[in-house]
Amino acid sequence: MTMKSTLTQAPARARPARSVLTGIGAFGALGVYVLISSVDLGLWTSLGPGPGLFPFAMGAVLAAMSVVWLLQELKKPSAAGEGADRGLVIAVVVSLLVLAAVLDLLGFQLSMFLFLMYHLKIRGGRSWLSSLLIGLAGSVGAFYAFNYGLNVALPVSAIPALNLIGL
Amino acid sequence: MDTLNELLNGFAAALTWQNLLFAFLGCLLGTVIGVLPGVGPVAGVALLIPLTLNLDPAGSIIMLCAIFYGTQYGGTITSVLLNTPGEASSAITTIDGYAMTKLGRAGSALTIAAVGSFIGGSIATIGLVAAAKPLGELGLLVGPPEFFALMVVGISLLVALAGKSMVKALISGALGLLISMVGIDPVAGAPRFTFGMDRLLDGVSFVAVIVGVFGLSEILSYRKGADAPLVHAPGFRSLLPTRMEWRRSAPAIARGTGVGFGLGLVPGMTGSVSSLLSYVAEKKFSRHRHELGKGAVEGVAGPETANNAHANAALIPLFTLGIPASPTIAVLMGAFLQQGLTPGPSLFTEHSDIAWAIIASLFIGNVLLLLLNVPLVGLWTSILRVPAPILTALILLFMVIGAYTINFSVFDVFVMIGFGLLGLALRHLEIPLAPMVLTLVLGPLMERSLRESLEISQGDFSVFLSRPISAVLIAVGLLIICSPLLKLRKPKALTEDPEA
Repeated sequence: MTMKSTLTQAPARARPARSVLTGIGAFGALGVYVLISSVDLGLWTSLGPGPGLFPFAMGAVLAAMSVVWLLQELKKPSAAGEGADRGLVIAVVVSLLVLAAVLDLLGFQLSMFLFLMYHLKIRGGRSWLSSLLIGLAGSVGAFYAFNYGLNVALPVSAIPALNLIGL
Repeated sequence: MDTLNELLNGFAAALTWQNLLFAFLGCLLGTVIGVLPGVGPVAGVALLIPLTLNLDPAGSIIMLCAIFYGTQYGGTITSVLLNTPGEASSAITTIDGYAMTKLGRAGSALTIAAVGSFIGGSIATIGLVAAAKPLGELGLLVGPPEFFALMVVGISLLVALAGKSMVKALISGALGLLISMVGIDPVAGAPRFTFGMDRLLDGVSFVAVIVGVFGLSEILSYRKGADAPLVHAPGFRSLLPTRMEWRRSAPAIARGTGVGFGLGLVPGMTGSVSSLLSYVAEKKFSRHRHELGKGAVEGVAGPETANNAHANAALIPLFTLGIPASPTIAVLMGAFLQQGLTPGPSLFTEHSDIAWAIIASLFIGNVLLLLLNVPLVGLWTSILRVPAPILTALILLFMVIGAYTINFSVFDVFVMIGFGLLGLALRHLEIPLAPMVLTLVLGPLMERSLRESLEISQGDFSVFLSRPISAVLIAVGLLIICSPLLKLRKPKALTEDPEA
């Protein structure tokens, strides 16, 4: 059996794409969740409209449109959009998640330097010299430019040893 | 006379060296964003909002406005030289712009585009000056029901014009409204959709959402392909158009100004629609219409003038009524709100000095862009020679800084990543992003006006129909939403607007 990515579907099809059905299901479920939660928030109070009224209407729109979209898909399946480069998506998202996770611990300069080196040297295949120069400019340079030029404080390391050397 | 005095005061404020510097930096950054294929004006402006958070409100908005209309100029360069639009509203320019490049007339195409943009932008700004007072005063007469109805019309237009499917556009709009509702309810003070997280009590950060949905998702959807394209910038001498080219451009510039200005006032119309309709107008009215598509200068002059006139005219509904006419203007409105300025009639009463300084800076910005764009075309094209991995890494760097510095919290970086993935999914499902950004900004205002209206009427929904202005506006909104049922089809090209 061949593994076919849901992100790379052919344009013409007899049945709705699995990714499209997943999307419709997700929006429909979100609509229903919002509808139920809105009732709990209160649709009407003695003073007038409650906090749940507007979300209730939006939940109803979301749920109803999901149903209409599903019916449209069953009648005439549409082609899902072009597929993304999975490798790129995983590399960018995972590296961003790691960066966000260590930003406060290692500080902006070190974590951003490592992030940029990963994207420039390892993923981008740039030379060591250009990777180092851009990595340092984007981490140490940006830190000083924002901190002292724009008065925008970027995080410093929570590790005392790193903090002591200015990172 | 009052208006003239206030405008002169605005010039005095806009011409201080700090504000001139902000306008200059905004023009530079905007041109760079426009030149870079892939980073649109919405993501570009959102990305740079954090840079302006620590500036004074006037300086901040001056810089962001300059970034906004700078993108319109920058987008032309790649359309003409590379056959690749830097941003959506320059897409139509590729047809004749690139054909002119192949004929060795790239330089004059760029010059005429810049001059046309300058004229269109300046005339639209004069329109803003003329309309500011009367529309602002009219706006003061608008109560919560009318305001709600006005926003219904704006959102209906955007939904109707966004993408191929109204169902998907409505989903996008509903999503934006739901995201805007996360946090403390503005009237009752109850937490909504916060999932018990204290961080969400203030709502989801607007900038983090926009940067994620528009910027990060754009990077995530990059394809494997060729590295930087080879671009040859035209020499300085070739930048001068011939007398014949000037003569042929003049009527196209005039028509483009009219089309762009008129459509810029209509909520939901994007710059791409203006440039497209300007091209259609050239096809119909130009003396040289048979040459269009083969390198006719009218095909560059008209659309490029129209998209810039549109960009400046689209500020009129924002300044006078508080209604953003396009996604980029919605992001600008978000920046206004972050600076404590509420666009609309009260802007001219409560922050008159700031409002007029911004308007004056629009004239200055247009001059700066004319001076920057034509002579420095070689510099702008060199940006295109920067390898893709370096550009991607630097854009990601700015995204992280932008998301972090909104609240100085890593949480917002995670929010940006989450919304980047949502944006990727929406792009894959071909759900337009424009209605979402508009409702994201308008959501809280719309909800407040709805609830205020219902409180005034003691829960009677007929308040929207018993007041003439709101009744007409609600009817217009319904007509727009129901137009597909009435088989009022829009032109095919409008359904493929990537900006929408």
